[in-house]
Amino acid sequence: MSTEDRRALEQEFDALTARIGAIVPADRKAGVVACCEELRRMTALVHGPRSPAVEPANIYSLKPTRARS
Amino acid sequence: MSAREPLHELSIAEAGARLRAGTLTSTALTQHALNRVAALDPVLNAFLLVTKERALADAERADRELKSGIDKGPMHGIPHALKDIYETAGIRTTCHSKLMLDHVPKEDGTAAAKLAAGGAVLLGKLATHEFAIGGPSFDLPFPPARNPWNRDHFSGGSSSGSGAAVASGMVRTAMGSDTGGSIRSPAAYCGIVGLKPTYGRVSRRGVFPLSYTLDHCGPLSWSVEDAALTMQVVSGHDPLDPASADVPVPDFAAELGSDLAGLRLAYPRSFFVGVDGISPEVIAGVDQAVQYLARLGATVAEIKLPDFELFNACGRVILTAEAYTVHEENLIKRGGDYARLTYQRMMPGAMVSAADLIQALRMRRELHDAVARVLETHDAIVTVNALAPAIRLDAFPADATLRTPGHTIPFNVTGHPALAVPTGFAKSGLPIGLQIVGRPFDEPTVLRIGAAYESVAQWTAKRPQLELKMAG
Repeated sequence: MSTEDRRALEQEFDALTARIGAIVPADRKAGVVACCEELRRMTALVHGPRSPAVEPANIYSLKPTRARS
Repeated sequence: MSAREPLHELSIAEAGARLRAGTLTSTALTQHALNRVAALDPVLNAFLLVTKERALADAERADRELKSGIDKGPMHGIPHALKDIYETAGIRTTCHSKLMLDHVPKEDGTAAAKLAAGGAVLLGKLATHEFAIGGPSFDLPFPPARNPWNRDHFSGGSSSGSGAAVASGMVRTAMGSDTGGSIRSPAAYCGIVGLKPTYGRVSRRGVFPLSYTLDHCGPLSWSVEDAALTMQVVSGHDPLDPASADVPVPDFAAELGSDLAGLRLAYPRSFFVGVDGISPEVIAGVDQAVQYLARLGATVAEIKLPDFELFNACGRVILTAEAYTVHEENLIKRGGDYARLTYQRMMPGAMVSAADLIQALRMRRELHDAVARVLETHDAIVTVNALAPAIRLDAFPADATLRTPGHTIPFNVTGHPALAVPTGFAKSGLPIGLQIVGRPFDEPTVLRIGAAYESVAQWTAKRPQLELKMAG
Protein backbone atom coordinates (compact mmCIF):
# COMPACT_ATOMS: atom_id res chain seq x y z
CA MET A 1 0.00 0.00 0.00
CA SER A 2 1.41 3.40 -0.95
CA THR A 3 1.95 6.15 1.61
CA GLU A 4 -0.99 8.05 0.13
CA ASP A 5 -3.26 5.01 0.35
CA ARG A 6 -2.15 4.41 3.92
CA ARG A 7 -2.91 8.02 4.82
CA ALA A 8 -6.33 7.71 3.18
CA LEU A 9 -7.01 4.52 5.13
CA GLU A 10 -6.08 6.24 8.38
CA GLN A 11 -8.40 9.16 7.55
CA GLU A 12 -11.19 6.69 6.79
CA PHE A 13 -10.56 4.99 10.15
CA ASP A 14 -10.54 8.35 11.97
CA ALA A 15 -13.83 9.37 10.34
CA LEU A 16 -15.42 6.03 11.19
CA THR A 17 -14.34 6.05 14.83
CA ALA A 18 -15.49 9.68 15.19
CA ARG A 19 -18.89 8.74 13.76
CA ILE A 20 -19.39 5.77 16.10
CA GLY A 21 -17.95 7.63 19.10
CA ALA A 22 -15.03 5.28 19.72
CA ILE A 23 -12.07 6.71 21.58
CA VAL A 24 -9.02 4.94 20.21
CA PRO A 25 -6.11 4.88 22.69
CA ALA A 26 -3.36 6.89 21.01
CA ASP A 27 -0.62 4.32 21.66
CA ARG A 28 -2.69 1.56 20.00
CA LYS A 29 -3.83 3.39 16.88
CA ALA A 30 -0.86 2.64 14.63
CA GLY A 31 -1.27 -1.09 15.29
CA VAL A 32 -5.01 -0.93 14.54
CA VAL A 33 -4.40 0.89 11.27
CA ALA A 34 -1.71 -1.66 10.33
CA CYS A 35 -4.25 -4.45 10.89
CA CYS A 36 -6.82 -2.47 8.84
CA GLU A 37 -4.26 -2.38 6.04
CA GLU A 38 -3.76 -6.15 6.25
CA LEU A 39 -7.51 -6.66 6.26
CA ARG A 40 -7.93 -4.38 3.25
CA ARG A 41 -5.47 -6.56 1.30
CA MET A 42 -7.48 -9.65 2.27
CA THR A 43 -10.77 -7.96 1.44
CA ALA A 44 -9.51 -7.31 -2.09
CA LEU A 45 -9.19 -11.09 -2.55
CA VAL A 46 -12.83 -11.79 -1.65
CA HIS A 47 -14.16 -9.36 -4.25
CA GLY A 48 -13.96 -11.55 -7.33
CA PRO A 49 -16.33 -12.53 -10.12
CA ARG A 50 -18.62 -15.33 -8.95
CA SER A 51 -21.37 -17.46 -10.36
CA PRO A 52 -24.92 -16.36 -9.42
CA ALA A 53 -25.35 -19.78 -7.82
CA VAL A 54 -22.78 -18.88 -5.21
CA GLU A 55 -24.69 -16.99 -2.59
CA PRO A 56 -24.92 -17.30 1.17
CA ALA A 57 -28.62 -18.16 1.55
CA ASN A 58 -27.70 -21.76 2.33
CA ILE A 59 -26.99 -20.79 5.92
CA TYR A 60 -30.68 -21.49 6.61
CA SER A 61 -32.21 -24.94 6.84
CA LEU A 62 -35.95 -24.36 7.05
CA LYS A 63 -38.48 -27.13 7.50
CA PRO A 64 -42.22 -26.70 6.94
CA THR A 65 -44.16 -26.43 10.18
CA ARG A 66 -47.85 -26.14 10.92
CA ALA A 67 -49.36 -23.05 12.49
CA ARG A 68 -50.51 -23.48 16.07
CA SER A 69 -54.29 -23.78 16.34
CA MET B 1 -1.38 -48.45 43.74
CA SER B 2 1.80 -46.81 45.02
CA ALA B 3 1.84 -43.23 46.26
CA ARG B 4 4.42 -42.42 43.58
CA GLU B 5 2.70 -44.17 40.67
CA PRO B 6 2.62 -41.85 37.63
CA LEU B 7 -1.16 -41.88 37.38
CA HIS B 8 -1.12 -39.05 34.83
CA GLU B 9 0.37 -41.53 32.34
CA LEU B 10 -2.78 -43.66 32.46
CA SER B 11 -4.96 -43.08 29.44
CA ILE B 12 -8.61 -42.24 30.03
CA ALA B 13 -9.54 -45.82 29.03
CA GLU B 14 -6.88 -47.34 31.32
CA ALA B 15 -7.87 -45.15 34.26
CA GLY B 16 -11.54 -45.92 33.58
CA ALA B 17 -10.90 -49.67 33.57
CA ARG B 18 -9.09 -49.43 36.91
CA LEU B 19 -11.80 -47.23 38.42
CA ARG B 20 -14.37 -49.85 37.46
CA ALA B 21 -12.21 -52.73 38.68
CA GLY B 22 -11.76 -51.02 42.04
CA THR B 23 -7.95 -50.83 41.79
CA LEU B 24 -7.94 -47.04 41.57
CA THR B 25 -10.15 -44.33 42.98
CA SER B 26 -11.13 -41.10 41.30
CA THR B 27 -10.10 -39.36 44.51
CA ALA B 28 -6.53 -40.66 44.16
CA LEU B 29 -6.45 -39.80 40.46
CA THR B 30 -7.79 -36.32 41.16
CA GLN B 31 -5.43 -35.68 44.08
CA HIS B 32 -2.52 -36.73 41.86
CA ALA B 33 -3.67 -34.30 39.17
CA LEU B 34 -4.08 -31.51 41.75
CA ASN B 35 -0.54 -32.21 43.00
CA ARG B 36 0.79 -31.87 39.46
CA VAL B 37 -1.10 -28.63 39.00
CA ALA B 38 0.32 -27.29 42.28
CA ALA B 39 3.86 -28.27 41.27
CA LEU B 40 3.81 -27.29 37.61
CA ASP B 41 1.37 -24.47 37.16
CA PRO B 42 3.46 -21.78 38.88
CA VAL B 43 5.84 -21.98 35.89
CA LEU B 44 3.38 -22.92 33.13
CA ASN B 45 0.43 -20.60 33.90
CA ALA B 46 -2.03 -23.05 32.37
CA PHE B 47 -4.73 -22.51 35.00
CA LEU B 48 -6.56 -19.28 35.78
CA LEU B 49 -8.52 -20.95 38.56
CA VAL B 50 -8.14 -24.33 40.28
CA THR B 51 -11.44 -25.66 41.66
CA LYS B 52 -9.85 -27.98 44.21
CA GLU B 53 -12.82 -28.43 46.56
CA ARG B 54 -15.22 -28.97 43.67
CA ALA B 55 -12.81 -31.48 42.09
CA LEU B 56 -12.43 -33.53 45.24
CA ALA B 57 -16.20 -33.48 45.84
CA ASP B 58 -16.80 -34.59 42.21
CA ALA B 59 -14.22 -37.35 42.65
CA GLU B 60 -15.71 -38.63 45.90
CA ARG B 61 -19.14 -38.70 44.27
CA ALA B 62 -17.75 -40.60 41.28
CA ASP B 63 -16.15 -43.15 43.62
CA ARG B 64 -19.44 -43.68 45.44
CA GLU B 65 -21.37 -44.01 42.17
CA LEU B 66 -18.94 -46.41 40.53
CA LYS B 67 -18.82 -48.53 43.70
CA SER B 68 -22.59 -48.81 43.66
CA GLY B 69 -22.67 -49.78 39.98
CA ILE B 70 -23.66 -46.43 38.50
CA ASP B 71 -21.60 -45.92 35.34
CA LYS B 72 -21.98 -42.57 33.61
CA GLY B 73 -19.65 -43.28 30.71
CA PRO B 74 -16.03 -42.97 29.65
CA MET B 75 -15.22 -39.75 31.54
CA HIS B 76 -16.78 -40.87 34.84
CA GLY B 77 -14.23 -40.05 37.55
CA ILE B 78 -11.70 -38.62 35.08
CA PRO B 79 -10.15 -35.18 35.78
CA HIS B 80 -10.41 -32.54 33.05
CA ALA B 81 -10.33 -28.78 32.70
CA LEU B 82 -12.07 -26.14 30.59
CA LYS B 83 -10.78 -23.18 28.63
CA ASP B 84 -12.00 -20.14 30.51
CA ILE B 85 -14.52 -19.15 27.87
CA TYR B 86 -16.72 -22.14 28.88
CA GLU B 87 -19.41 -20.93 31.28
CA THR B 88 -19.51 -22.85 34.55
CA ALA B 89 -22.27 -22.47 37.13
CA GLY B 90 -20.99 -20.68 40.23
CA ILE B 91 -17.40 -20.67 38.95
CA ARG B 92 -15.79 -17.47 37.66
CA THR B 93 -15.49 -17.41 33.87
CA THR B 94 -13.24 -14.55 32.77
CA CYS B 95 -12.32 -15.13 29.11
CA HIS B 96 -8.84 -14.16 30.44
CA SER B 97 -10.06 -10.55 30.38
CA LYS B 98 -10.25 -7.58 32.70
CA LEU B 99 -13.74 -7.00 31.30
CA MET B 100 -15.05 -10.29 32.70
CA LEU B 101 -13.12 -10.57 35.98
CA ASP B 102 -16.26 -10.68 38.13
CA HIS B 103 -18.37 -12.82 35.82
CA VAL B 104 -19.81 -15.83 37.63
CA PRO B 105 -22.32 -17.66 35.40
CA LYS B 106 -25.55 -19.01 36.82
CA GLU B 107 -25.47 -22.17 34.73
CA ASP B 108 -23.11 -24.44 32.85
CA GLY B 109 -22.81 -24.22 29.09
CA THR B 110 -23.88 -27.37 27.28
CA ALA B 111 -20.44 -29.01 26.95
CA ALA B 112 -19.59 -28.27 30.59
CA ALA B 113 -22.97 -29.66 31.64
CA LYS B 114 -22.48 -32.81 29.57
CA LEU B 115 -19.08 -33.42 31.16
CA ALA B 116 -20.57 -32.90 34.63
CA ALA B 117 -23.49 -35.21 33.84
CA GLY B 118 -20.98 -37.75 32.56
CA GLY B 119 -19.29 -37.78 35.96
CA ALA B 120 -16.10 -36.00 34.83
CA VAL B 121 -14.11 -34.19 37.50
CA LEU B 122 -13.57 -30.47 36.83
CA LEU B 123 -10.10 -29.36 38.00
CA GLY B 124 -10.50 -25.74 36.96
CA LYS B 125 -10.46 -23.09 34.27
CA LEU B 126 -7.66 -22.65 31.79
CA ALA B 127 -5.77 -19.76 30.26
CA THR B 128 -6.75 -18.52 26.82
CA HIS B 129 -5.87 -15.61 24.64
CA GLU B 130 -8.20 -12.84 25.73
CA PHE B 131 -11.67 -13.61 24.28
CA ALA B 132 -9.91 -16.36 22.27
CA ILE B 133 -8.09 -13.84 20.09
CA GLY B 134 -5.80 -11.43 21.95
CA GLY B 135 -2.56 -13.09 22.79
CA PRO B 136 -0.06 -13.92 23.92
CA SER B 137 -0.46 -10.79 26.02
CA PHE B 138 1.31 -9.49 29.11
CA ASP B 139 -1.11 -6.61 29.78
CA LEU B 140 -3.92 -8.76 31.18
CA PRO B 141 -4.88 -9.75 34.72
CA PHE B 142 -3.28 -13.19 34.16
CA PRO B 143 -0.01 -14.13 32.45
CA PRO B 144 0.02 -16.17 29.23
CA ALA B 145 0.50 -19.95 29.40
CA ARG B 146 3.97 -21.30 28.62
CA ASN B 147 5.05 -24.26 26.53
CA PRO B 148 5.93 -27.31 28.67
CA TRP B 149 8.63 -28.33 26.17
CA ASN B 150 10.42 -25.02 26.63
CA ARG B 151 8.92 -22.45 28.95
CA ASP B 152 10.42 -19.53 27.04
CA HIS B 153 8.16 -20.45 24.14
CA PHE B 154 4.54 -19.90 23.23
CA SER B 155 2.11 -22.77 23.89
CA GLY B 156 -0.06 -21.82 20.91
CA GLY B 157 -3.43 -20.23 21.04
CA SER B 158 -5.97 -19.38 21.75
CA SER B 159 -6.50 -22.57 23.78
CA SER B 160 -3.08 -21.92 25.29
CA GLY B 161 -3.81 -23.23 28.78
CA SER B 162 -5.52 -26.36 27.43
CA GLY B 163 -2.40 -27.17 25.40
CA ALA B 164 -0.02 -26.58 28.31
CA ALA B 165 -2.16 -28.46 30.84
CA VAL B 166 -2.47 -31.58 28.67
CA ALA B 167 1.15 -31.63 27.45
CA SER B 168 2.44 -31.34 31.02
CA GLY B 169 0.22 -34.17 32.23
CA MET B 170 -1.92 -32.09 34.56
CA VAL B 171 -4.98 -33.51 32.77
CA ARG B 172 -5.37 -36.06 29.97
CA THR B 173 -7.96 -33.94 28.21
CA ALA B 174 -9.19 -30.36 28.22
CA MET B 175 -11.79 -28.53 26.21
CA GLY B 176 -10.76 -25.75 23.86
CA SER B 177 -12.31 -23.78 21.05
CA ASP B 178 -11.18 -23.26 17.47
CA THR B 179 -12.17 -20.31 15.29
CA GLY B 180 -9.09 -20.13 13.06
CA GLY B 181 -6.96 -22.90 14.56
CA SER B 182 -7.17 -22.37 18.31
CA ILE B 183 -7.38 -26.09 19.14
CA ARG B 184 -5.00 -27.31 16.45
CA SER B 185 -2.29 -24.67 16.97
CA PRO B 186 -1.69 -25.43 20.67
CA ALA B 187 -1.92 -29.14 19.87
CA ALA B 188 0.87 -28.74 17.28
CA TYR B 189 3.07 -26.54 19.48
CA CYS B 190 2.60 -28.72 22.57
CA GLY B 191 2.94 -32.14 20.90
CA ILE B 192 -0.56 -33.37 21.70
CA VAL B 193 -3.76 -34.26 19.85
CA GLY B 194 -6.52 -31.73 19.14
CA LEU B 195 -9.82 -32.24 17.37
CA LYS B 196 -11.80 -29.46 15.75
CA PRO B 197 -15.01 -31.37 15.11
CA THR B 198 -17.44 -30.70 12.28
CA TYR B 199 -19.28 -27.38 12.67
CA GLY B 200 -22.44 -28.23 14.60
CA ARG B 201 -21.15 -31.45 16.20
CA VAL B 202 -20.44 -30.00 19.67
CA SER B 203 -22.73 -27.34 21.12
CA ARG B 204 -21.34 -23.82 21.45
CA ARG B 205 -24.05 -22.78 23.91
CA GLY B 206 -22.46 -21.19 26.97
CA VAL B 207 -19.08 -20.77 25.28
CA PHE B 208 -18.23 -17.10 24.79
CA PRO B 209 -18.40 -16.43 21.05
CA LEU B 210 -15.57 -15.06 18.97
CA SER B 211 -17.07 -15.60 15.52
CA TYR B 212 -20.55 -17.09 15.26
CA THR B 213 -20.05 -18.99 12.02
CA LEU B 214 -16.45 -20.09 12.55
CA ASP B 215 -16.40 -21.14 16.24
CA HIS B 216 -16.00 -24.85 16.99
CA CYS B 217 -15.67 -26.55 20.41
CA GLY B 218 -13.53 -29.64 20.88
CA PRO B 219 -10.92 -31.44 22.96
CA LEU B 220 -7.15 -31.19 23.29
CA SER B 221 -5.95 -34.54 24.56
CA TRP B 222 -2.83 -36.59 25.22
CA SER B 223 -3.78 -39.26 22.66
CA VAL B 224 -6.25 -39.85 19.85
CA GLU B 225 -8.17 -42.29 22.03
CA ASP B 226 -8.43 -39.72 24.84
CA ALA B 227 -9.86 -37.23 22.31
CA ALA B 228 -12.36 -39.81 21.02
CA LEU B 229 -13.60 -40.59 24.52
CA THR B 230 -13.97 -36.90 25.35
CA MET B 231 -15.93 -36.40 22.12
CA GLN B 232 -18.27 -39.20 23.17
CA VAL B 233 -19.36 -37.15 26.17
CA VAL B 234 -19.56 -33.64 24.72
CA SER B 235 -21.15 -34.36 21.32
CA GLY B 236 -24.81 -34.28 20.40
CA HIS B 237 -27.63 -32.11 19.19
CA ASP B 238 -28.46 -29.09 21.32
CA PRO B 239 -31.67 -27.28 20.41
CA LEU B 240 -30.39 -24.27 22.34
CA ASP B 241 -27.45 -23.78 19.92
CA PRO B 242 -28.85 -22.53 16.60
CA ALA B 243 -25.90 -24.07 14.73
CA SER B 244 -26.11 -27.46 16.41
CA ALA B 245 -26.65 -30.29 13.94
CA ASP B 246 -29.34 -32.87 14.59
CA VAL B 247 -27.28 -35.87 13.52
CA PRO B 248 -26.62 -39.19 15.28
CA VAL B 249 -23.61 -39.40 17.58
CA PRO B 250 -21.34 -42.24 16.44
CA ASP B 251 -19.05 -44.38 18.59
CA PHE B 252 -15.95 -42.21 18.13
CA ALA B 253 -13.58 -44.92 19.36
CA ALA B 254 -15.14 -47.75 17.36
CA GLU B 255 -12.64 -47.64 14.49
CA LEU B 256 -9.53 -47.01 16.57
CA GLY B 257 -7.04 -49.82 16.09
CA SER B 258 -8.18 -50.60 12.52
CA ASP B 259 -5.59 -50.50 9.78
CA LEU B 260 -6.02 -48.13 6.87
CA ALA B 261 -6.63 -50.69 4.12
CA GLY B 262 -9.00 -49.33 1.52
CA LEU B 263 -8.79 -45.71 2.65
CA ARG B 264 -7.96 -43.07 0.04
CA LEU B 265 -6.03 -40.08 1.30
CA ALA B 266 -5.54 -36.79 -0.52
CA TYR B 267 -2.22 -35.04 -0.01
CA PRO B 268 -2.25 -31.36 -1.11
CA ARG B 269 1.54 -30.90 -0.86
CA SER B 270 1.54 -27.83 -3.12
CA PHE B 271 -0.88 -26.19 -0.66
CA PHE B 272 1.92 -25.59 1.83
CA VAL B 273 5.35 -26.30 0.32
CA GLY B 274 6.97 -23.01 -0.56
CA VAL B 275 4.74 -20.78 1.57
CA ASP B 276 6.43 -18.04 3.59
CA GLY B 277 7.68 -19.15 6.99
CA ILE B 278 7.31 -22.91 6.60
CA SER B 279 10.00 -24.95 8.29
CA PRO B 280 11.69 -27.74 6.29
CA GLU B 281 11.38 -29.89 9.43
CA VAL B 282 7.60 -29.48 9.36
CA ILE B 283 7.46 -30.46 5.66
CA ALA B 284 9.69 -33.48 6.31
CA GLY B 285 7.44 -34.49 9.21
CA VAL B 286 4.29 -34.47 7.07
CA ASP B 287 6.05 -36.23 4.16
CA GLN B 288 7.24 -38.97 6.49
CA ALA B 289 3.81 -39.33 8.08
CA VAL B 290 2.22 -39.75 4.66
CA GLN B 291 4.68 -42.55 3.94
CA TYR B 292 3.70 -44.24 7.21
CA LEU B 293 0.02 -43.93 6.30
CA ALA B 294 0.67 -45.58 2.94
CA ARG B 295 2.51 -48.42 4.68
CA LEU B 296 -0.52 -48.85 6.92
CA GLY B 297 -2.62 -49.60 3.86
CA ALA B 298 -3.95 -46.25 2.68
CA THR B 299 -3.73 -45.12 -0.91
CA VAL B 300 -2.25 -41.64 -1.09
CA ALA B 301 -2.70 -39.27 -4.05
CA GLU B 302 -1.34 -35.76 -4.42
CA ILE B 303 -4.12 -33.29 -5.12
CA LYS B 304 -4.50 -29.52 -5.36
CA LEU B 305 -6.59 -27.23 -3.18
CA PRO B 306 -7.36 -23.57 -3.85
CA ASP B 307 -4.60 -21.18 -2.74
CA PHE B 308 -4.34 -20.87 1.03
CA GLU B 309 -4.48 -17.07 0.75
CA LEU B 310 -8.06 -17.33 -0.53
CA PHE B 311 -9.14 -19.38 2.49
CA ASN B 312 -7.26 -17.03 4.79
CA ALA B 313 -8.78 -13.87 3.31
CA CYS B 314 -12.27 -15.34 3.43
CA GLY B 315 -11.87 -16.52 7.03
CA ARG B 316 -10.24 -13.33 8.32
CA VAL B 317 -12.86 -11.03 6.81
CA ILE B 318 -15.66 -13.08 8.38
CA LEU B 319 -13.87 -13.54 11.72
CA THR B 320 -12.94 -9.88 12.08
CA ALA B 321 -16.45 -8.69 11.20
CA GLU B 322 -18.16 -11.17 13.53
CA ALA B 323 -15.76 -10.57 16.44
CA TYR B 324 -16.32 -6.82 16.12
CA THR B 325 -20.07 -7.44 16.17
CA VAL B 326 -19.80 -9.44 19.41
CA HIS B 327 -17.67 -6.77 21.12
CA GLU B 328 -18.90 -3.58 19.44
CA GLU B 329 -20.26 -1.81 22.52
CA ASN B 330 -17.24 -2.51 24.71
CA LEU B 331 -14.75 -1.71 21.94
CA ILE B 332 -16.36 1.70 21.56
CA LYS B 333 -16.84 2.47 25.25
CA ARG B 334 -14.06 0.52 27.00
CA GLY B 335 -11.41 -0.02 24.35
CA GLY B 336 -8.60 0.59 26.83
CA ASP B 337 -9.78 -2.31 29.01
CA TYR B 338 -8.89 -4.84 26.32
CA ALA B 339 -5.33 -6.07 25.90
CA ARG B 340 -3.42 -4.18 23.24
CA LEU B 341 -3.37 -7.16 20.85
CA THR B 342 -7.08 -7.96 21.33
CA TYR B 343 -8.06 -4.38 20.59
CA GLN B 344 -5.83 -4.14 17.54
CA ARG B 345 -7.16 -7.39 16.09
CA MET B 346 -10.84 -6.65 16.74
CA MET B 347 -11.16 -2.96 15.95
CA PRO B 348 -10.56 -3.35 12.18
CA GLY B 349 -13.89 -5.20 12.08
CA ALA B 350 -15.52 -1.77 12.12
CA MET B 351 -14.03 -1.18 8.67
CA VAL B 352 -15.61 -4.25 7.04
CA SER B 353 -18.49 -3.24 4.78
CA ALA B 354 -21.65 -5.27 4.21
CA ALA B 355 -20.46 -5.98 0.66
CA ASP B 356 -17.08 -7.20 1.95
CA LEU B 357 -18.75 -9.63 4.32
CA ILE B 358 -21.28 -10.92 1.82
CA GLN B 359 -18.59 -11.44 -0.81
CA ALA B 360 -16.61 -13.40 1.79
CA LEU B 361 -19.68 -15.55 2.50
CA ARG B 362 -20.14 -16.21 -1.21
CA MET B 363 -16.48 -17.13 -1.51
CA ARG B 364 -16.89 -19.41 1.49
CA ARG B 365 -19.45 -21.43 -0.43
CA GLU B 366 -16.98 -21.86 -3.32
CA LEU B 367 -14.15 -22.88 -1.01
CA HIS B 368 -16.36 -25.33 0.85
CA ASP B 369 -17.40 -26.90 -2.43
CA ALA B 370 -13.76 -27.21 -3.57
CA VAL B 371 -12.85 -29.17 -0.42
CA ALA B 372 -16.06 -31.21 -0.65
CA ARG B 373 -15.18 -32.22 -4.22
CA VAL B 374 -11.83 -33.60 -3.03
CA LEU B 375 -13.64 -35.55 -0.32
CA GLU B 376 -16.06 -37.08 -2.83
CA THR B 377 -13.22 -39.28 -4.06
CA HIS B 378 -11.00 -39.37 -0.96
CA ASP B 379 -11.75 -40.36 2.64
CA ALA B 380 -9.55 -37.65 4.16
CA ILE B 381 -7.01 -34.94 3.42
CA VAL B 382 -3.62 -34.95 5.15
CA THR B 383 -1.93 -31.56 5.36
CA VAL B 384 0.28 -29.30 7.42
CA ASN B 385 -0.81 -27.71 10.71
CA ALA B 386 1.47 -25.02 12.25
CA LEU B 387 4.13 -23.96 9.75
CA ALA B 388 7.00 -24.02 12.26
CA PRO B 389 7.67 -24.91 15.89
CA ALA B 390 6.49 -22.51 18.60
CA ILE B 391 8.36 -19.22 18.71
CA ARG B 392 9.68 -17.55 21.85
CA LEU B 393 7.16 -15.53 23.83
CA ASP B 394 9.52 -12.56 23.77
CA ALA B 395 9.76 -12.73 19.97
CA PHE B 396 6.17 -11.55 19.46
CA PRO B 397 6.00 -7.96 18.20
CA ALA B 398 4.36 -5.38 20.44
CA ASP B 399 1.67 -4.66 17.87
CA ALA B 400 -0.82 -7.11 16.41
CA THR B 401 -1.02 -8.78 13.04
CA LEU B 402 -4.03 -10.67 11.68
CA ARG B 403 -1.85 -13.42 10.22
CA THR B 404 -1.15 -16.59 12.20
CA PRO B 405 1.61 -19.00 11.19
CA GLY B 406 -0.54 -22.05 10.45
CA HIS B 407 -2.75 -23.63 7.82
CA THR B 408 -5.75 -24.18 10.03
CA ILE B 409 -8.34 -21.56 9.09
CA PRO B 410 -9.37 -23.26 5.80
CA PHE B 411 -11.32 -25.87 7.73
CA ASN B 412 -13.04 -23.30 9.93
CA VAL B 413 -14.18 -21.70 6.69
CA THR B 414 -15.49 -25.02 5.35
CA GLY B 415 -16.59 -26.59 8.66
CA HIS B 416 -14.95 -29.96 7.98
CA PRO B 417 -13.55 -31.94 10.96
CA ALA B 418 -9.78 -31.59 11.40
CA LEU B 419 -7.56 -33.56 13.76
CA ALA B 420 -4.13 -32.31 14.87
CA VAL B 421 -1.59 -35.07 15.46
CA PRO B 422 2.12 -34.69 16.33
CA THR B 423 4.73 -35.72 13.74
CA GLY B 424 7.75 -35.52 16.04
CA PHE B 425 10.18 -32.84 17.07
CA ALA B 426 12.33 -30.17 15.47
CA LYS B 427 16.06 -30.06 16.25
CA SER B 428 15.21 -27.46 18.89
CA GLY B 429 13.27 -30.17 20.75
CA LEU B 430 9.94 -28.45 20.12
CA PRO B 431 7.00 -30.44 18.70
CA ILE B 432 5.71 -30.28 15.12
CA GLY B 433 2.57 -31.79 13.61
CA LEU B 434 0.01 -32.28 10.87
CA GLN B 435 -3.75 -32.28 10.47
CA ILE B 436 -6.15 -34.84 9.05
CA VAL B 437 -9.34 -33.43 7.53
CA GLY B 438 -12.43 -35.51 6.95
CA ARG B 439 -15.93 -35.44 5.56
CA PRO B 440 -18.63 -33.65 7.55
CA PHE B 441 -19.57 -35.65 10.68
CA ASP B 442 -17.06 -38.38 9.81
CA GLU B 443 -14.85 -37.83 12.83
CA PRO B 444 -14.54 -41.63 13.35
CA THR B 445 -12.53 -41.95 10.10
CA VAL B 446 -10.33 -38.99 10.97
CA LEU B 447 -9.69 -40.45 14.43
CA ARG B 448 -9.01 -43.89 12.92
CA ILE B 449 -6.31 -42.44 10.65
CA GLY B 450 -4.82 -40.41 13.51
CA ALA B 451 -4.75 -43.42 15.83
CA ALA B 452 -3.15 -45.67 13.22
CA TYR B 453 -0.38 -43.14 12.62
CA GLU B 454 0.03 -42.51 16.36
CA SER B 455 0.41 -46.22 17.06
CA VAL B 456 3.35 -46.59 14.66
CA ALA B 457 4.97 -43.18 15.14
CA GLN B 458 4.67 -43.20 18.94
CA TRP B 459 5.25 -39.44 19.23
CA THR B 460 2.64 -39.01 21.93
CA ALA B 461 4.55 -41.46 24.11
CA LYS B 462 7.29 -38.85 24.52
CA ARG B 463 6.52 -36.24 27.16
CA PRO B 464 8.32 -33.07 28.25
CA GLN B 465 10.84 -33.50 31.05
CA LEU B 466 9.50 -31.35 33.83
CA GLU B 467 11.94 -31.65 36.70
CA LEU B 468 9.85 -30.17 39.40
CA LYS B 469 9.20 -31.14 42.97
CA MET B 470 5.96 -33.00 43.33
CA ALA B 471 4.04 -33.00 46.58
CA GLY B 472 2.62 -36.30 47.84
